[in-house]
Amino acid sequence: MHLLFAFAIAIVAGCSLYLILSRHIVRILLGVTMLSAAINLVIFLSGRIVTNVPAVIRAGESSLSADAANPLPQALVLTAIVIGFSLTAFFAALALQTYRSLGSVDTRHIDAAERLGSPFPAAKDRP
Amino acid sequence: MLAALLVSFLGAILARFVVSRTFPHGGWVAALLPAGLFLFFLAKGASLPEVGAITETLEWVPALGISLTLRLDGFALLFVLLITGIGTLVTIYAGAYFAHSPKEEAARFLTLILLFMTAMLGTVLSDNLIVMFVFWEATSLLSFMLIGFNSHRAQARKAALQSLIVTGGGGLALFGGILLIGMTLGTFSLSEVAQRATELLASPLAVPAMILIMLGAFTKSAQLPFHFWLPQAMEAPAPASAFLHSATMVKLGVYLLARFDLIFEGIPAFGATLVIVGSLTMLVAAVRALSTDGFKEVLAHSTVGSLGVLVMLIGLDGDYSVTALIAFIIAHALYKAALFFCAGTTIHAVGEGRLSKIGGLARRLPMTTLAAGMAAISMAGLPPTLGFITKEYLFESQLNASSGWVVVAVAVLVNAVFAAIAGVAAIRPYYLGKTRSEVKHPETLGLYLGPLVLGGLGFLFGLAPDFLVRGLIQPANDVLVGHTVDLSFSLWHGFTPMLALSATVVAFAGGLIAYWHRIHYALSLNKGLARVLGDFGFNAAFAGLLRLAERCTRLLQNGDQHRYTSTVAAAVLLIIGYGVLASGTRPVIALTDGRFDMPSVIVLLLMCLGAFAATRTPSLLRAMIAVGVVGFGSALIFLLNGAPDVALTQFSVEVLLVLILVALLLRVPERAASTREPREKRLDILISAGFALVVFVALAATVALPLDGRISDFYAATSYLEAHGRNVVNVVLVDYRAIDTLGEVIVVAFAAMSVWGLLRIMPRRRAAP
Repeated sequence: MHLLFAFAIAIVAGCSLYLILSRHIVRILLGVTMLSAAINLVIFLSGRIVTNVPAVIRAGESSLSADAANPLPQALVLTAIVIGFSLTAFFAALALQTYRSLGSVDTRHIDAAERLGSPFPAAKDRP
Repeated sequence: MLAALLVSFLGAILARFVVSRTFPHGGWVAALLPAGLFLFFLAKGASLPEVGAITETLEWVPALGISLTLRLDGFALLFVLLITGIGTLVTIYAGAYFAHSPKEEAARFLTLILLFMTAMLGTVLSDNLIVMFVFWEATSLLSFMLIGFNSHRAQARKAALQSLIVTGGGGLALFGGILLIGMTLGTFSLSEVAQRATELLASPLAVPAMILIMLGAFTKSAQLPFHFWLPQAMEAPAPASAFLHSATMVKLGVYLLARFDLIFEGIPAFGATLVIVGSLTMLVAAVRALSTDGFKEVLAHSTVGSLGVLVMLIGLDGDYSVTALIAFIIAHALYKAALFFCAGTTIHAVGEGRLSKIGGLARRLPMTTLAAGMAAISMAGLPPTLGFITKEYLFESQLNASSGWVVVAVAVLVNAVFAAIAGVAAIRPYYLGKTRSEVKHPETLGLYLGPLVLGGLGFLFGLAPDFLVRGLIQPANDVLVGHTVDLSFSLWHGFTPMLALSATVVAFAGGLIAYWHRIHYALSLNKGLARVLGDFGFNAAFAGLLRLAERCTRLLQNGDQHRYTSTVAAAVLLIIGYGVLASGTRPVIALTDGRFDMPSVIVLLLMCLGAFAATRTPSLLRAMIAVGVVGFGSALIFLLNGAPDVALTQFSVEVLLVLILVALLLRVPERAASTREPREKRLDILISAGFALVVFVALAATVALPLDGRISDFYAATSYLEAHGRNVVNVVLVDYRAIDTLGEVIVVAFAAMSVWGLLRIMPRRRAAP
C-alpha cells in the first residue's frame, strides 16, 4: 500500500511541476496548488499510513492506544494546508492584478525587469 | 620591533594631518618617521653578529597556530634598511614632487607611501608565513592604490586593476602554497620550516607547494609570463615608481624565493626553473626596453630585466651566486631608485615623458643631471662603483655554475642593453636633442637630494666596499648559505675572465647607444612583437572572461520565466541524481506492509487521473476542476486513514479555493492556448517525469526505513495526562506547538492583508502587447 501511495503522490507531483513549467500564470497557480496537496500527502505518508483509527484517546484510558494513527504528521499537515492555502490566495490576487495591469497572463509579457532574450538593458534605457 | 611596526603604522595615519599642516614642507617632516626607523634598525643590526637573530612574539590566533612572530636576521636586516633608508629619501622627494599640487593630494600620497612602508617591513620581518602573507597582500593593495593614484586617468585605473589582478592572483597561489606547507609540517613558522626542510621534501605535497610559491613570487617580481604589469604600473607618480616598482616591493618575490631556496634546493627543478624563467625574462625585457620611448617605461623594462637577473642568481648553484644576489639587490636599489627620481624630476619639469621629445636639460637641471650620471655609471657597471663589483660577481657566479654558456651569453647581452639604457637615460635628456625643453618646475633641494645620495652611495660602496660587506652582505650571506663564508670584496680583481666579459659588455653597449635610434625605429615598427611580448595575453584572457560571463548571463538570465524554472528544476534533479549515484548506496524499494485498502486505491487513481487531466485540458475551468479533484481526493485519503481533523480542514480549504479560483477565472480569459513550443513541452515532460521518479524513489526509500516514533509516543503518552485533551492532534496544535500555530495564524493574516492591499488598487491598464 505504501508503494501505491508513493506512486500516486509521485504522479501528482510530476504533473504539478509540468504545470509550474508553463508560461501561463493561472496554470502555474494551479500547479502550485496541486503540488502543495501532494506535499501534504508526502508528510502524511512519512508518518506511515497503517490504520484508519483516529488519534483520539478513548474514554477511560489515559494514553493513546497502539493501533491509533500517528498524530505528529497530522498536526504538521494541518499547519501546511493552511499555509498552502494562504500562498494560493496571495498568488491568485497577484495573478488577477497582473492581468488587470498588463492585460495578459503570459509571463513573456512581464518584462519590466529584463527584456526577453537578453538580460542587458536596451541602449536607450542605459544610464 | 613590534613597537617599531606599530609606530610606523600610527605614524602613517598621523602623516595625513601632519603633512597638510606643514605643507609644502610636509615631506621633510614626514621623513622623520622612516629616518627614525632606519636608525632604530641600524642600531638593532649592530647587535646582530653577537646574537644571530632577534625574535619577538605576540600571540595572535593561538588556536590556529598563528602568532605575530617577528624575526630579524641578516637577510631581513638588508631589506629593512633598504626599505627605511630609501623610504626616507622617497618621502622627502615626494614632498617636493607634490609641492605644486593641492595639499590634500600630497597628504594622501605620503600616507599611502608610509603605509606601504609599514606593510613592507611587516612582510620581511614576519617569521610566521600567515602573517607574512597578510602583509604581502597589503603591499599589493597599496600598490594598486598608488598606481591608480591619478584616478581620473583611465589608463591609470586600468594599470592599477591589472597589477592587482596579477599580484592578487599570485597572492592566492602563494597562500595555497603556505597552507600546503602548514598541512604537511603542522607549523607556519618560516624558521622551523627551514629546519625541517628534509621532512617537507619527503612529502608528496612538496612539489605543488613549490609551484604555488613560485607563482606567487613570479607575479610579484614580474617574471615571465607575468612581466607585463610592471611597465604598465608606471602610471603611478614617480616617487611611488621609485619606491614600489623598482627598489622594494617588486623584490619581495626575490626575497621569498631566496628564503625558500634553502628549503627547496633539494628539488632539482627549483633551481633550473628559476634560471630558465629569469633568463627568458631578461631577454624579453631587453627587447622591450629597446623598443620603448617613454623615460619611465624604459627604466621599468630594465627593472623587469634586473629582477630576472636576481631570480636567475637564486637558481644558480655554485659559489658566489648568493653573494652576487645580495650585492646586486643593494646596487640595483641604489641606482634604479636614483634614476626613477631623476626621471620623475625631468618629466615633472618639462611635462613630457617621451625620451625623443626631451633634450638639453643639463643647464636647467644641473643637480639632477649629475645624479643621473652617477647612477647611470653604476647601472652600466663601470668602475669605480658598486655596480661594477656586482657585475663581476654576477659573471663569476655564472662561470662557476653548472648551467652552461647560454646563461652567460644572455647575461652579457642583457647587461649590454642595461648599460646602453643607463647611457641613454643619463645622456639623452640632458645633453642631446635638437629641442631645448622648457622647464616649468625647476629642481629643488628635496628633488635632487635623494638621487644624489643614492648615486653617491653607489660610488662610496664601490670605492670602500669593506664597510658594506661587514655590515650587510656578510650577515645576509650567512643566512642564505646557512653557514659562514669568508667574503672579500675589492674593486680590482686583476685580469680575469670576468673583466673580459665586462669589456665585451661595454663595447656592446657603446654600439647600442650609437645605433639606439635605428634599433628603436626597427623594433617599434614590429607591432606584432610588442603585442606578443606585452600584455596581449592578459588582455585576451580578460576580454574572454567577460565574454564568457555575458554569454552565461544571456543563457541563464534571458528574461524567460520558463527557462528559469526549467533550469532550476533540471539542476535540482541533476544534483540529486549525482548525489544518489556518487553516494554508492542504492535506495531500497520494498513492500513494507501487507495492507491493501480498496477505497484508498480508488481515490488515489482518481487523483492521478485528475492530475493528468489538469495538464491536458486547454480550458482553465476544466483544469481547475481537475485540480479540485486532486484536492478533494487528498481530503478523502485523510478521512479514510485516521485523520478526520485534517480531512475537515482540507475540505473547507478546497471550497474556499474553488471560490477564489472561480473569482479569478471570471476576469481572466477562460480558454488558454498553449504557451510552450512542442520542443519545450517534450523537455518539460522529461523534467517532470524525472521529478516524479525522484519523489517516488525518495518516498519508497523513506517508508522502507524503520519509523522513529519517539516524538509521537511522547505526545500519545502525555496528551491526556499533562494537557487534558483526548484528541491528540488538537492538543499538539494548540498546546505543544501553540507558538507554531500562532505563527500560522499570523501568516494567514498577512496573506489576507496583502491580498486586500493588492486588489484595492485598480491599475491603469497598459496597452496589451
